[in-house]
Amino acid sequence: MPAPSLTRVPTEGRLRAAITRASAATAWWREQAALGPALARPIATTTTSPAPAGHLLTVPDIGLSCEILLADRLFHDLAPAERQGLAGWIRANQQPSGAWLDDAGGPDLSRTALGWWALVESGDDPEAEHLVRARRIVHELGGAQRGSIEVRLWLAMAGHMPWAWLPTMPAELWLLPTLAWLSPSRVSPWARGVMTPYLLLSRAPAKVHVSSAASLLLTRPDGEPILPRLVQPGLGGDLLQAFDQSVKLIRKLPRGPILGVALARVQRWLIGAQQNHGGWFSVRPTLLSLIALRVMGANYDDPRIVRGLSYLRRARGLARLHGRPHLVQGLTCPPLATVARLVRVALAASDPAGEAAIPFLLAEEIRQSGEWQLRTNAPAGGWPCEAGADKYVDTHSTCAVLDALLALPKDSGHQSQARAAMRRAVEVLLAMQEPDGGFARFERGESEVFMARFPLRDAQILAAGSPTDPARVCVSAAALRQLARLGFQADDDRIARGLQWLWQRVTVDFAGFDLGTLAELALCSATLCPPTHPLRQTVERQLRGRQREDGSFGAPIDTALAMQGLMALEPRPCIQTQRAARHLVQLLDSAPAELAQAALSERLGGAWTAGLGLSRLCQDPSGGVREAALALTRFAEQGGQL
Amino acid sequence: MTAPIATSSDVTVQPDGRYDVIIIGAGIAGCAAAQALALADPSGRRKILLIDRHPGSSPRFAGEFIHPRGAQILADLGFYAALKAAGAVDVDGFTVLERAEGRYVELPYGEIPGQRTQGLAAHHKSLVRTMRQVVRERPQVDLFEGWSIHDLLRGSGDRIHGVALTGPNGLQVKVHADLVIGADGKASQVRKLAGIPEQRQTVGFTVGLELRNAKLPAPTWGNIILGAWGPVLVYPIIRDADGDLVYRVTLDLPANLPAKGARLAEFLLETFVPFLPHPLADQIAEAITSHRGPFEMAPTVNLPAPTAVQPGLALIGDAGGCSHPITASGMTMGLRDAECLAEEARRRVDAPNHEAWLDDSSLRRYRAEHDRYVPTRQALADAIYEVFRGGNEGARAIQRALFDYWASGPTARARSMALLSCAEGRPQVFLSEYLKAARYAIESSLVARHAAHLPTRDRLRQVSGAMQLASNKLGLVAQVMWAQVRPAWLPHDRTFL
Repeated sequence: MPAPSLTRVPTEGRLRAAITRASAATAWWREQAALGPALARPIATTTTSPAPAGHLLTVPDIGLSCEILLADRLFHDLAPAERQGLAGWIRANQQPSGAWLDDAGGPDLSRTALGWWALVESGDDPEAEHLVRARRIVHELGGAQRGSIEVRLWLAMAGHMPWAWLPTMPAELWLLPTLAWLSPSRVSPWARGVMTPYLLLSRAPAKVHVSSAASLLLTRPDGEPILPRLVQPGLGGDLLQAFDQSVKLIRKLPRGPILGVALARVQRWLIGAQQNHGGWFSVRPTLLSLIALRVMGANYDDPRIVRGLSYLRRARGLARLHGRPHLVQGLTCPPLATVARLVRVALAASDPAGEAAIPFLLAEEIRQSGEWQLRTNAPAGGWPCEAGADKYVDTHSTCAVLDALLALPKDSGHQSQARAAMRRAVEVLLAMQEPDGGFARFERGESEVFMARFPLRDAQILAAGSPTDPARVCVSAAALRQLARLGFQADDDRIARGLQWLWQRVTVDFAGFDLGTLAELALCSATLCPPTHPLRQTVERQLRGRQREDGSFGAPIDTALAMQGLMALEPRPCIQTQRAARHLVQLLDSAPAELAQAALSERLGGAWTAGLGLSRLCQDPSGGVREAALALTRFAEQGGQL
Repeated sequence: MTAPIATSSDVTVQPDGRYDVIIIGAGIAGCAAAQALALADPSGRRKILLIDRHPGSSPRFAGEFIHPRGAQILADLGFYAALKAAGAVDVDGFTVLERAEGRYVELPYGEIPGQRTQGLAAHHKSLVRTMRQVVRERPQVDLFEGWSIHDLLRGSGDRIHGVALTGPNGLQVKVHADLVIGADGKASQVRKLAGIPEQRQTVGFTVGLELRNAKLPAPTWGNIILGAWGPVLVYPIIRDADGDLVYRVTLDLPANLPAKGARLAEFLLETFVPFLPHPLADQIAEAITSHRGPFEMAPTVNLPAPTAVQPGLALIGDAGGCSHPITASGMTMGLRDAECLAEEARRRVDAPNHEAWLDDSSLRRYRAEHDRYVPTRQALADAIYEVFRGGNEGARAIQRALFDYWASGPTARARSMALLSCAEGRPQVFLSEYLKAARYAIESSLVARHAAHLPTRDRLRQVSGAMQLASNKLGLVAQVMWAQVRPAWLPHDRTFL
C-alpha cells in the first residue's frame, strides 16, 4: 500500500475549510431569505411592520427604487428612514459623470432621468452638482421624453407630457378571444401586468403630484417640449404612427357600450390578477396596478391596496455596494430559484437546515389554476418565481426546486410530499415545451408575441426575450436535465425535440453563451447524452476551452459553475477541475478570517441573472459563495484533491 | 409408482433410453404439457420425460399472472387446488391508473362473457414447485431436475428423434423419443440446437420487488400504474396463512440501463417512486431502501414467433415466441400450447406403438393453432406496451383514447379485456377494437384536458401523431387478421410443415 502523500492532509484540510467557509456564508444568505417563520406566515396578512432588514437575494437596477419614491407621493407609505435609504442606494449607483448605467455599462437615459427625479423627490437640490450632471446627461441623450415607456408614463402622470404622446391601446383588445393574435393574453405575463394598469391610467387620465421634472425635457426655442417619436423609423413605423393617431381620433367619437364593457373587463382582470402575496406579477406591475386601483376609486384603506403595499415592502431589502449596505426596492419577493439553490447547498452539506427548509418549498407549490394554463396543457403544479405567488408558474424556479427536492435524503419524512410535488412539476415542465422544442419560462408563446413585431419603440417589452435568447437555452437545458433525472430519456419524443433544439442553438449561438449557460448545457448533456453525443462533446470542448491560465473561468461564480459542469461530464475530477478548485479554495483562503459573511460574499462576487421586463438583469449577490460551496462539496464527494 | 427425482447429489438415477415425448424445461409450460399429455393417455402406456436444468426452480423471477383462460386450463389439468393450497391468489382483473392523480379504470374479468370470472396469480417459484409436485404424481412422467440438454439427436431427413443430456456431475446420456418439446423459455437451448431462426431482441429489463399488504384500491387485481418511464405492475402473488397478501411489483427499465449496482436503488427511487400514488409510493420506497443485495431482474425480450415445429420437435411457451409482459399473457399462452398439444395427443390416443404418438400431421395442426393466437398476443402486447410507455405523441394520444374508450361503458371494457386476456381471437373483434381506438385517439387529441385555449397546431400535432401510430400499426393488424383467417391447409414457407 503506498504511503500517503505528505501534502495530502494539509490540502484536504484547506478544502474542508474552504467548504465550511463558503457553506457558512451560504447559510447566512439562507437566513437573509428569512426561510421559516417570516415567509411561512400567512401572506394575506395586512402587516404594516417596518421594512425587513434582510439582504435581497436579487438586486435590480435603481429604476424600481426611483418609481417607489415617486409613487410615495400618492401612497405615503415610506418611513423617512426608508426614503433616505432608497435615495442613498440611488446616489451610490450614480457615476461620476452623473449618469446611471445600463446593463452594458453605458449611460442609460431612462435610469438617469428616473434617478434624477427620485433624488429631487427625496429632497436633493436640483441645482446640486450631481443632479446638474445627471440632467446634462439626460439632455445629451435626447431628453426625458425619449426614455422608456415607464419614464414617459411618469412624465404624463406628472403632467409634463400630454397623454397623446404615449402609445395608444384600444380597450377593446381585452374583448378579443384569448387565441387572437392581438389579445393581451398573448403577451408575456409581465407585459400584461404593465399594459393593463397602463390602459386604465391613460384612460383616466391619472395625475400624480410629484416634483417637477420639466427641466429634463428637451424643448424647442419656444419652450414647447419636442414630441417623442412613438414608432421606429421606416414605412411601417409611419403607418403605425398614422394608425395611432387615427385611434386617438376615433376615441373622441361615441363608441356605444363596447368601451364600457371592455373597460369593465380590464378592471376585472386587474382585480383578479392580484396574487396571494398581495402583489401582481412582480413589483413594477404591482406599483402600476396600485396606482390604477386608486384611479378606479379605491381608497388607501382598501384591502387590495394595503396588501399591495405590504407586498412592495416585503420585496424591499438591503444590498451592498462598495462595502456598504443600502435599502433597495427588489424586483420580487425572495426568488424561489435562489432560495432553492441555497437549500440545495445545505442539503449537499448534510446541514439539517436544508431539510428544515423543505416544507417551505413544498408550501410554495402552485396548487390552483392560473392564466399560465391558457396554452399549457397541464394541471396545477410547479413553483412560481417568487415566494408567496400563486398565479404564475416559473420553469426556472420549478427546475431549481426539483433539483433541491431530488437532493433530499431518501429517508426524509418529507419525501412523500416531495414526490407528489415533483410528479406535478414534471407534468408542468413537459407542458411548457414550445413547438420548436425549447421551453417557455412563464407562459407558452411568451417569446413569440405577434404584437412585439410592431414597429413600436417599446414593442419588445411585450415579449419575454426572443426565441433564441441564451436565457431560454438555460431554462430549456435545466428543464431537460430535471426531466432526465426523473426518468425521461432521449427515447421520448419530447426530450428528443428538446435536445435537437439545444443542438440548433449551440451550433448557431455558441459564441454568445456565458459560462452559466454553458455549465447548464454541460449538466444537461451529461445527464441525457452518451459521451459520444455531438452536443455533449461540443459543450465539453467549449467549456474546457474557457479556462484561464490561473485555473479560473473568469469570475468566481463562473469558475464554480464550470466546475459543476465539468464534474458532471467526467467520472472523477480531472486536472482542469482540480485547478479550478484550487483557484476557488485560494480565493476563500485569502479572505481575512474576521470578514463578515456579507463582505465575504461581496469579495467573491455575485452573478447576473435574468430579471423581468424593463429590469432585464439583476445581481445575484449570493451566487459566488453559494455555487463555490456546491462545487467544492461535490469536488470533495468525488474524491477530488487539491 | 413414484417418478425418479434426480438432483445434483443423486447421480445414480438417470433417464431411460426411450420415451414417447421428451419435454425440455419443467417450468409452467413444460409441467402443464407433461400433465396434459399424461391425462391424454388414460391407459398409461405412454412415457414422458420431463427435465429441467434447475433443481427446484429457476432463480430468476418470471411469469406469475395467469388470465382466466389459463386458470381454466390449470383447473382442467388438476393444478388449481394444489396451487391455491400453496398460496396462489384468485385475481379479478386489471386496473389501470393513468398517472398518480389521473384517471382510474377497472377492467374486470367478470364482464367477459363465457369464461371464468377470475384468473390466478402465484409466486413463480411456488408455482413451479407446486406444478412439479403434481406432475411427479403422474406415473407416465419421469421428472429429472438438474439435467440439461446439450444436443439434439437427428435421424434420416434431419428428423429429431432424441436428445443428448448432461446430468449432475457431467453425466451424459442419450435419450430417444418420437417428439421433443422445447419448453425452456425465451432463451431456449432447444430452439438454438434445432437451428430455428429467430429475431430475439432485448427491449429492456424488469426489476421485481416483493411487498407485503400493498395499499391498493383493488387488492386482488393486477394494477398497472402509468406515468413513469415504463409501466409499473403490482399484483398479489401469495396469500399467506394469516390472510396477508404478498405482492409483486415490477418496474420496467430501458435496455441501456441508466444505473447499475448500488446506484440502481437511487435511480428507482428518483424515476419511478415519484410517479406512484400515495401511500403505495411510500411502501415501494421503503421496499427499495430496505432491500439488501442485488435486485431481482429479468430481461424483457421481444421474440416474434419463430417456427414452432420441426419434424420431431415442437416449441411451446416462451420458447415459441414471447413479448413484453405488460399483458401478462405469457403463461396463459404456454398453457394454451400445452392444451393444444394434449388435444392432438388425445386424437391419437389409440395410435399403434410403432407409430409416433404425435405425428407430423398433429404437429402441423398444432402449429396452425399456435400461429393463430401467438401473433395476436404479441401484437397486442407490443402495442399496449408502446401506448403505456407513452414515448411519442401517437402513443400518448392512444393512451388518452383508451381511457376515454374504457370510460364509455362496460361493453368497451369487456371487449378490450377479452382481447388482452386471450379470451377473444375473432379477427372482426380485433379490427373493430383497433378502429375504435383510432377514432377515440383522434377525438381526444382535439380536446385539451387542462389548457383553456390549446393552440391549434398543438392539437394538430397530437392528431397527426395518433394517425401516424395508427397507420404504422395497420400492417400489424393485417398480419394478425391473416393469422386468424389463414386456412390450416395452406403450407408455410421454408418449412416442411
